[in-house]
Amino acid sequence: MSNFQVMKLEYGACVDALSEALRAGDETAFFTAVDHIVRMREPATLTEIRRLTGDLQKALERFSIESRLADIAENEIPDAKTSLAHVIKMTDDAAHRTLDLVEQSGPLAERTGREAAALIDSLKAYRERPSGGSGFEGAVRSIDAFLPVVRAVEAFLPAARTDSDTIRRNLADVLLAQGYQDLTGQIIRSVIKLVVELEETLANLTKLSGDIVEHTTLGESPDKGHGPVVPGVTRGEVASGQTDVDELLSGLGM
Amino acid sequence: MSKDLKFLVVDDFSTMRRIIKNLLHDLGYPNVAEADDGKTALPMLQAGGFDFLITDWNMPGMPGLELIKAVRADAKLAKMPVLMLTAEAKREQIIEAAQAGVNGYVIKPFTAETLKEKLDKILGGGK
Repeated sequence: MSNFQVMKLEYGACVDALSEALRAGDETAFFTAVDHIVRMREPATLTEIRRLTGDLQKALERFSIESRLADIAENEIPDAKTSLAHVIKMTDDAAHRTLDLVEQSGPLAERTGREAAALIDSLKAYRERPSGGSGFEGAVRSIDAFLPVVRAVEAFLPAARTDSDTIRRNLADVLLAQGYQDLTGQIIRSVIKLVVELEETLANLTKLSGDIVEHTTLGESPDKGHGPVVPGVTRGEVASGQTDVDELLSGLGM
Repeated sequence: MSKDLKFLVVDDFSTMRRIIKNLLHDLGYPNVAEADDGKTALPMLQAGGFDFLITDWNMPGMPGLELIKAVRADAKLAKMPVLMLTAEAKREQIIEAAQAGVNGYVIKPFTAETLKEKLDKILGGGK
């Protein structure tokens, strides 16, 4: 039996009772029949109201999610892109600054080492020189032989002091150049926060629409490379280190 | 072994190019040129004068693997020693690089000793 046929039977009886009461002029019976009809209609009306309220609530939620998404897309994603570009610039600057200082210090350390080695050789040659004889003349020869060593030491010490001062200053600057990590860390953390919010907002939107979102992957060629291994993110078999790579390649006959 | 070898270092990050250049210099190879991706590197290689190619994999424009394939397909460059120096560490990629014809594969982060060892092996390998 269809819904309408059921309604026809139920309401038909009430309408019959209503017309009977009218015909008989029975006021009590008339109002009883009217109340009955109203009560019968109530659940359907309530269901309808409930459905409308639900739809309205969903529409409002959707509106709020969509306006947040629009805000994220219009303002926060471009800001995040700029922030990340700034992170690259900061790490790049710090790396170059560090390389500058290392390149500057290397030759200084090398020079000090080289000149110290030359001094060691000179001292050794002095100690191992053939005897200059005894007496006053021998002492004079000995002093004469030692004079170039003294001059070399005199030239070496101030230069070594200046060079080691410069190296120490450079090392302090290398230390300072690492300060970027604090700043980039904060920026990256704020971008992670945005990504988490975006993920939650999209998940809520998907739940609300009840749509099934199919998993899709960016169709990028594997030739492009995947970038560095990120623990917990990179999938598939990954070489654990250079030894692993070497073993794999030697297994391939390389 | 000749220290006059001319190297081409291809990496999109200038800091990494500088690090490799410095290490090569310390190893006694002062003759080093740079390129920031395969697209820039290939015409430089084709113009001639290079003896050794060190390339990254993941670069915008032309990635390293494509560069190696192009090098191996070019009769003039086909025999050039190539070292891949990359953060790509998936086993399938290492195999793919080997099939494309690399002579060595070093993963980042790497040490000066690893670079030296691979260069010595490739250059002393009677290529």
